[in-house]
Amino acid sequence: MQDAVPTQHAFLTLSGISKRYGGVRALEDVDFACERGRIHAVLGENGAGKSTLIKIIAGVVQPDAGSMRLAGNDVSFAAPSAANAAGVVCIFQELSLMPDLSVADNISIASPPRRFGLINGRAQRRRAEALLAEIGCEDVNPLMRVRDLPLSRRQMVEIAKALGQRPQLLILDEATSALTSADVEKVYAMLARLKSEGVAILYISHRMHEVEALADRASVFRNGRHIETFDKGVRSTADIVQLMIGRDIATQYPAKPPHRQVKPVLALENLSWDKHLDRISLSVGSGEIVGLGGLDGQGQKSLLLALFGVLRGVTGRVTVGGREVRTASPAAAKSSAVGIALVPEDRKTEGLMLPMSIADNLTIASLDAISTGPFVDRAKERAAVKRGIDSLQIRIGAPGDAVSTLSGGNQQKVVLAKWLMTEPRIILLNDPTRGIDVGTKQELYRLMRALADQGAAILFYSTDYDELIGCCDRVAIMYGGRIVRELEGDELTETNIVASALNIDAATSAKARAGAAHA
Amino acid sequence: MKTMNLGLSRDDRPILIASLFILVILVAGTAYTIARFGSAPLLQPAYLLQQLQIGAFLGIVAAGMMIVILIAQIDLSVPWTLAAAAMMATSIGGPLAILVGLGVGLLIGLVNGIGVAYLRVPSMIFTLGVNAVMRGLMVAHTGGYAPQTTATGLMRSLASERTLGIPNALFVWAAVSVLVVVILQRMPLGRYIYAIGNKEAAAYLAGVDTRRVTVICFVLCGLAAALAGVLLAGYSTKAYQAMGDAYLLPSIAAVVIGGTNILGGRGRYLGTLVGVVLIVLLNSVLSIMDMPEAGRQVIYGLVIILMLLVYGRGERVTN
Repeated sequence: MQDAVPTQHAFLTLSGISKRYGGVRALEDVDFACERGRIHAVLGENGAGKSTLIKIIAGVVQPDAGSMRLAGNDVSFAAPSAANAAGVVCIFQELSLMPDLSVADNISIASPPRRFGLINGRAQRRRAEALLAEIGCEDVNPLMRVRDLPLSRRQMVEIAKALGQRPQLLILDEATSALTSADVEKVYAMLARLKSEGVAILYISHRMHEVEALADRASVFRNGRHIETFDKGVRSTADIVQLMIGRDIATQYPAKPPHRQVKPVLALENLSWDKHLDRISLSVGSGEIVGLGGLDGQGQKSLLLALFGVLRGVTGRVTVGGREVRTASPAAAKSSAVGIALVPEDRKTEGLMLPMSIADNLTIASLDAISTGPFVDRAKERAAVKRGIDSLQIRIGAPGDAVSTLSGGNQQKVVLAKWLMTEPRIILLNDPTRGIDVGTKQELYRLMRALADQGAAILFYSTDYDELIGCCDRVAIMYGGRIVRELEGDELTETNIVASALNIDAATSAKARAGAAHA
Repeated sequence: MKTMNLGLSRDDRPILIASLFILVILVAGTAYTIARFGSAPLLQPAYLLQQLQIGAFLGIVAAGMMIVILIAQIDLSVPWTLAAAAMMATSIGGPLAILVGLGVGLLIGLVNGIGVAYLRVPSMIFTLGVNAVMRGLMVAHTGGYAPQTTATGLMRSLASERTLGIPNALFVWAAVSVLVVVILQRMPLGRYIYAIGNKEAAAYLAGVDTRRVTVICFVLCGLAAALAGVLLAGYSTKAYQAMGDAYLLPSIAAVVIGGTNILGGRGRYLGTLVGVVLIVLLNSVLSIMDMPEAGRQVIYGLVIILMLLVYGRGERVTN
């Protein structure tokens, strides 16, 4: 590699690292270095080798060839605990918390404070409180079970846990993908502080604006090779995207159709559930993509689950095509009379049966349609699988391979293709682009628009405001279980979304009312 | 990545290993009998058919057990489902003995399924409770003795007579096997079973009626145990207390030795067949060797653990 960047001060140096998984080359002769007191972004599409790189540095997997130096010493980590002992701490994309233990238990799981040989619960709680305060999460109760926290809070707990190990080299692998904007700010502040303390930071993210805001230096990987390393400001965003994908990208988002009156397919009236949904009224028309925005955990996910028949005790009226429907279960929601599909939040545990084949995953929701009498019709099945793979251009080896062998983006395409086989009229998307590479994201955007053009009504929740603005005809902003504002056309700007998401108008007027009452 | 170069999928490896082990049992057993008695009964078709006839009861129980294990559940009520079906068939069944027996199995399976799917009680606890309840009910019903009534002619014929020199029980086992293979490979129900075993949440969110499928699986397992009970009563001409106790561990072992993942979602029926044959032959070799009961238990348990250790290798590389 001809790096423009000198590496004599490097804290971590990798030379000639290679790694294969079976027949798949994950990393090929990679040289890489990072320094103390710098945030170093690692960029690349899914499957570029970033995760393998991280796993090697963190001792999760061992390289087939090459050497690693940390702080001037040759090292090879046989296990993550060895890497931890050397000050290498990782925050992985897949959360590593134990759902049934408390936040405090989780934060101190590796080395709980002891007294007389027993775990000192009080010290452990204080430690959790201190660490959570360091990242501005005082609102998380250390005694709560992790299971009861929303995904975004869990991710903050994960970060607190990593911080507790006092890292010399901190690795964040998509660690902000589930965070709310407010939390992202807190993480930025924490990273800035760690950087000033001389910690080396490796940062992996698919969100380019995060990389631009944070990174002092970036390295691009593609197909298991280190392509280029450059300092902040040397390359434009367009250049970087170009390096990552190795091909041109014309536009980020497909063009929206001009504003027009559409016939509502899905209409909600006063939908309420528990404390999480408060009299939601919303309609989605045929050919329309309606976004759900706002801070994370304001009821957007509950709304999608309520429509899909997962939640018990939902009140209010739901009409599909003018007829009132009751969806008591996902089976009822997907029935042809209703025709709802849901791409769930977590594709690995809710969207797919990972060890099962691509074909089995594709057909599981539409087996009735490809059966003759009581039996699955093999010919129809093969045809349906082929159609699904072709229409979404899913890149696979063979339909019989386990779906876990696919990259994240292609896995998400399998989830979508599975639902398209049921020919849904209404498609609910729960943050479908989380942790997916740029190229596949754009394919998904185009696909969403194409589906809408074919008449589907799409309700799309995303934590990425940019995506909402780029994809949606209209965005409903939720706050505290209510829809506080619907934005469309020129109003659909980041400023408006953020303002509505924080419910600034309502907060100030409430304060004014409270002030008036006191006076 | 499949190991296509060997023509072997991940599911085939345990089946191959178990088959090889059967060969080892046959060879070692034959070497022993030749050295000791100068004969080789293990290689005589008549002897093998007789062993398989006894194996048919275990095979039928294991077929049901496999379906329940595939959805990541377990049915520990099998011993007294089997005994209750046999007792009710012989004591109150009259000419409809077989139907009454199967009805008992269906009912118990239904209760198990509803308890696990709708009341959300873990199957390990719920079916254990049902087993105890059935045992108590049967003791109350029979007064703690074997019922004096005997099995019907049809039951005895199915269990111990032969057609064209082949035991009828083997035909019953074959019919059950075909049914299970058809369900697992050709019917949507089979796909749902594997899907639930792999990730129940994902199957549910794909619109699979997971509770209904769970109930069906427990009903199938109850029916299989009941059928085995009816046949066993026919074989020994009457039902008796604790007649099913010897079938619980071996049926689970046969399923697991055949490569079915005890945590659900993966496994082929062929493996369960091989597992049953392995256990039956192992038992008969040990009895030929005049191994005392204690020694048989030790060897039996060690074989199961050993097989699982062998399967476990190679699995670890996947993640």
